[in-house]
Amino acid sequence: MVGRPKSGLTVSAMVSFEKTVSSDPANLAPVRKEVEAFLATAGIADAGIANVGLCLNEAMANIIRHAYRGAEDRPIKVGAAVENGRVTITLRDWGNGRDPSTCCGNNDPLTPGGLGLNCLRRLMDEVTFTPQPDGMLLTLSCNGARCAASTNQS
Amino acid sequence: MDLMTTTELVPTARLVGTTMVIEVQGEIDLHNSPDLRTEILHLLNKHKPKSLVLNLAKVPYMDSSAAAVLVEAIRIIRPKGGKIYLAGLQPRVKGLLEVARLGTIFTIVKDEAEALSK
Repeated sequence: MVGRPKSGLTVSAMVSFEKTVSSDPANLAPVRKEVEAFLATAGIADAGIANVGLCLNEAMANIIRHAYRGAEDRPIKVGAAVENGRVTITLRDWGNGRDPSTCCGNNDPLTPGGLGLNCLRRLMDEVTFTPQPDGMLLTLSCNGARCAASTNQS
Repeated sequence: MDLMTTTELVPTARLVGTTMVIEVQGEIDLHNSPDLRTEILHLLNKHKPKSLVLNLAKVPYMDSSAAAVLVEAIRIIRPKGGKIYLAGLQPRVKGLLEVARLGTIFTIVKDEAEALSK
């Protein structure tokens, strides 16, 4: 079944969705909550939903702050899919195309910067930045069970 | 002594001796963390407490931009020999602090009363 609710959310057999929003930080919470609701519908455990929701928030915030340098009117295309218990999140931007994994992140929690990227690395199995001709595609994925169990891992 | 606050993110703040108690409420992400930062830094710089208790019992969610505000606060408090107590952590906030490896930097307590008894 394919449906397109008023919210702009596209649902395909309850396993994936896609939505494009502007880079306004006010969109962070609504998008996170929509993805979390989708993951709940797809059967992901609460702890996994919380971790994926946090990673989505951090990835979107990094796009707003770094790829778009705070501009609030640029597009961010968010995708989410669950297949065989595996969660995949994609974020496409049309920003400066810089790969944050080559410049950011640190292991000192008291040093500013990189907290969000470190969250992605610690909670996700896969964090892949794929440069595009006009921006960046970020792919995050984790097994639903690992998403739920990875908070205490390094 | 009750202190004036200017954002609904911080409904109350007060001084108990040399300790400042700040209550925070709501979900905090990049959208509103700058407001939280402004309020907390203003209170710390104006009243210069030795220690700080942040009551986060009404904060169901925060992201790394909010955690960065806490880190900024500890950079002000710690050089004076003070501590920051985080009270009433909800599961998602506790999870963020753990994954950001900030859980051991702050003193985590059950509630305001426990923080003020230390």
